[in-house]
Amino acid sequence: MSLQTDKRDFSERTTDGLGDSFMRNAVGSAQDSLKTRRLSAATALGDWEQWRTAGQQIRQHTLQNLDYYLEQLAGNIEKKGGHIYFAATKEEASSYIRDVIVQKQAKKIVKSKSMVTEEIDLNHVLIEAGCELIETDLGEYILQMDDWDPPSHIVAPALHKDRRQIQRVFAEKLGYTDDESPEKLARFARKVLRQKFLEAEVGITGCNFAVANLGAINLVTNEGNGDLTAAIPKTHIAVMGMERIVPTLAEMEVLDNLLCRSAVGQKLTSYITVMGPSAAGDTDGPEEFHLVVVDNGRSDILGSEFNEALQCIRCGACLNVCPVYRHIGGHAYGSIYPGPIGAVITPLLGGYDDFKELPFASSLCAACTDVCPVRIPLHEQLIRHRQNIVKENRTGSMERFQMKAVGRLLSSPALFGKTLRFAHPASRLMSKHGRIVRGPELIRGWIGSRDLSQPVKQQDSFRAWLDKRKGESGQ
Amino acid sequence: MTVLRNYHTSGNNKESFLNTIASKLGRERRHEVRLPDIQSLLPDSYGSLTQDDLIDILKEQCFFIHTQVIESKPEILQRTLDDLIEASGGGSVMISGDPRFAAYGLMFPGSFVWEEAAGREQNIMRAESADTAVIFADYALAESGTIVVESRPDQGRSLHFLPAHYIAVIEKQRIVPRSTQAAAALNRRVLTGEPLGSSINLISGPSNSADIEMKLVVGVHGPLSATYVLI
Ligand code: SF4
Repeated sequence: MSLQTDKRDFSERTTDGLGDSFMRNAVGSAQDSLKTRRLSAATALGDWEQWRTAGQQIRQHTLQNLDYYLEQLAGNIEKKGGHIYFAATKEEASSYIRDVIVQKQAKKIVKSKSMVTEEIDLNHVLIEAGCELIETDLGEYILQMDDWDPPSHIVAPALHKDRRQIQRVFAEKLGYTDDESPEKLARFARKVLRQKFLEAEVGITGCNFAVANLGAINLVTNEGNGDLTAAIPKTHIAVMGMERIVPTLAEMEVLDNLLCRSAVGQKLTSYITVMGPSAAGDTDGPEEFHLVVVDNGRSDILGSEFNEALQCIRCGACLNVCPVYRHIGGHAYGSIYPGPIGAVITPLLGGYDDFKELPFASSLCAACTDVCPVRIPLHEQLIRHRQNIVKENRTGSMERFQMKAVGRLLSSPALFGKTLRFAHPASRLMSKHGRIVRGPELIRGWIGSRDLSQPVKQQDSFRAWLDKRKGESGQ
Repeated sequence: MTVLRNYHTSGNNKESFLNTIASKLGRERRHEVRLPDIQSLLPDSYGSLTQDDLIDILKEQCFFIHTQVIESKPEILQRTLDDLIEASGGGSVMISGDPRFAAYGLMFPGSFVWEEAAGREQNIMRAESADTAVIFADYALAESGTIVVESRPDQGRSLHFLPAHYIAVIEKQRIVPRSTQAAAALNRRVLTGEPLGSSINLISGPSNSADIEMKLVVGVHGPLSATYVLI
């Protein structure tokens, strides 16, 4: 599928998303339930803020010493008889994997969910080479059966579909005859896919974290498909973004706890597995193990002003709190990585030419930054992108004017205060029943589909109230 | 026609790949690194719990992860397991080759045992056709309701995933507060050079998915149900 999922204009994509009321409801309720679950699982851990700090420090330490840990990993994988391949580009990565498979004359491939394999366009390359490739994660399988519909969430890829749509896809493509209950749909998929696992010659998985001092990979899943993908076929190929590595099992344990709680609100997901090349006497698991380490633009982020984006552990929590994601949905980003983290890393991996609008798809409310388990300052990185885009003159003239104006406004408290005083009477001209109905370009996309409250009157604003109070108590 | 590289002999891009990383970080390659002590940042929220406290925490958590917990004793373990197998519809059983089955005098007539001699295809086929798997846990983690198992010649990886029902026997003294303790114990083995199984599985209840409308479905690719038996 590669990074870009939709070549149309950003405005066309968002109009699509905003017009899809089913999708917007589905995304809204998914966000709400994931948010609540995350919160209770995070609270249960005790001191969540300390855990976040630990997560941040582990990620920063590993990134600062990435060459060392990757070298250690490579040595340990090879010591156990596994292969490790370092791919500088996505083409190198996918053609290495294709070559391994073609030389084995393997045709039947099972895959478990992996974002990085989407990024390197692996499915396309393997299907072109004549392989029968099956995505085995339930959500991904649904998307594949629906003619490779792109994913819309990094943890729940088929979030934009309802049960009736899924029932229809299964009926048309697989002859499914039962009703639309999720249990029956899942049982049906289990039966079909069980056969695929048993027949497969090669299994391909992603990798949540590689463990450097052990020479193994860590998979964090719930369905059990990842483990079957790695246990049954005679060849296991795992693919990882080069930054997804931890020094030892102790750091992995901290990150797995942060990941499970932030992603799905579970203390630990059903299956957390540390796996690698087979050991002497093993009676299943791979006879041949390959780990493909992918750069594909990541090293350019390393040491840059966006370095912290590489701390990401792909938990999806920032998507689940984002008001913009809630309204436009995952597909509108036109990238396999949607939401706040997608708006930060997609332009870094794919360039500003195709993705210059994404950093503007944010209200800068900073909910993403607050929730991120490894403390990536997401909204600050979005602002940095905007500054770069404006500096490079890539925006339209109106946006440029607005960005400059907003920039000046935010950097001058006096001006900001004046504007607030002006904003209420000015916005009255554009509003009905306390809701703004017309507005300049900057907010039009936003209010086309949601209510924007009128700014509070100057005398009601918090700052004014605080000043008044200070004055009264003589402080 | 694409020219295929022979991956067994192909020159590896490792050096240039790692050199790029070092240069982007603005320094020479590093061959020694001191790992900072991160664990000391984390509060120990389970400091002084007794064995009974841990059992209570484990039981409570298992309720949330759709896992049945049965308290048994070594003397009646066989009965407990027979009853559980019966209750999930009887059928065929596959056990691991763990010596604890013999030590507790357990026998399941007509069942299969995962064994090195049977070889790959046989073991996988038997596990696929088994209705219930029974195994012994190496550790249990109270907080998350997790059991830890390690692959060995007599206990393959897919034994935990192919049979429809999954029963794990947990000896109470193997319950630790949380994943911290299990990770530390395993990491100690890595540091002393003691080999680990090629797959370490932390299993918390049955397989599940929320991929359809975020509605939880228990039992997807892995087992449809999970039961822990405490002795
Ligand atoms: S940026 Fe943070 S919150 Fe978003 S997916 Fe990555 S780790 Fe999770």
